[in-house]
Amino acid sequence: MSRDRESELWLKGDIHELGKLADWISPFADAAGLNLALEELFVNAVRHGGCEGLEQAVHICVREIQGGFEVEFRDRGRPFDFTAAPAADLKAPLAERQGSGLGIHLVRQLMREITWRREGEWNILNMRYIVIEGEEVA
Amino acid sequence: MIQVTEETRAGWCIVAVRGRADAEAADALEAALRDAVQRHNRVAADLSALDYVSSAGLRALIQAAREAEGRRSEFAICSATPPVKKVFDMSGLQQILKIQGALPC
Repeated sequence: MSRDRESELWLKGDIHELGKLADWISPFADAAGLNLALEELFVNAVRHGGCEGLEQAVHICVREIQGGFEVEFRDRGRPFDFTAAPAADLKAPLAERQGSGLGIHLVRQLMREITWRREGEWNILNMRYIVIEGEEVA
Repeated sequence: MIQVTEETRAGWCIVAVRGRADAEAADALEAALRDAVQRHNRVAADLSALDYVSSAGLRALIQAAREAEGRRSEFAICSATPPVKKVFDMSGLQQILKIQGALPC
């Protein structure tokens, strides 16, 4: 990432691609937080969005900007407006907690200025990730 | 990749979790923790060698804690590394799970 100001990655609609995502993201500054947000979006697209089994299911582009990264996440799943999705009820007691909505909640904690649009067969999320010096997330 | 090992110490079953608790590893993690909870009254998950956790990994911990609650047994989450602790903080889970610093024994 030090030489390339922009980097992109294609992923198949297969949960076993998570290792490839982690390897690709590891050279980035504050990679762990970015990894977490991208895993949540990817897993959501594969498990709930209908991307399972698609060859070129997800395309991710990360561009270095002052103080962080601009991130574009595209998936070929069903139309899904991430910005309008309900997040987890964090106050629910343990007996009622299944963990649903938790991934969406984490992405909203990690990413800024999230926008969604549908273009042809693609869900497109644009967002920013701010690197906080000395901070390491997940 | 995730590695889970188990040992019994002073009445506690200590389940040491090593590696990455991502969506690929979560089912194995949940199975190992629930298996321990079904066999022991006091289980502590030692997360001192866990580098990464996502919502799928958190869900595995929630399911193990639910199993323990149903059995009226103890399930403690211990020694989380700073990056994993940060995800606990973001998730709000520290309010409903028994998350503690050191292992009970």
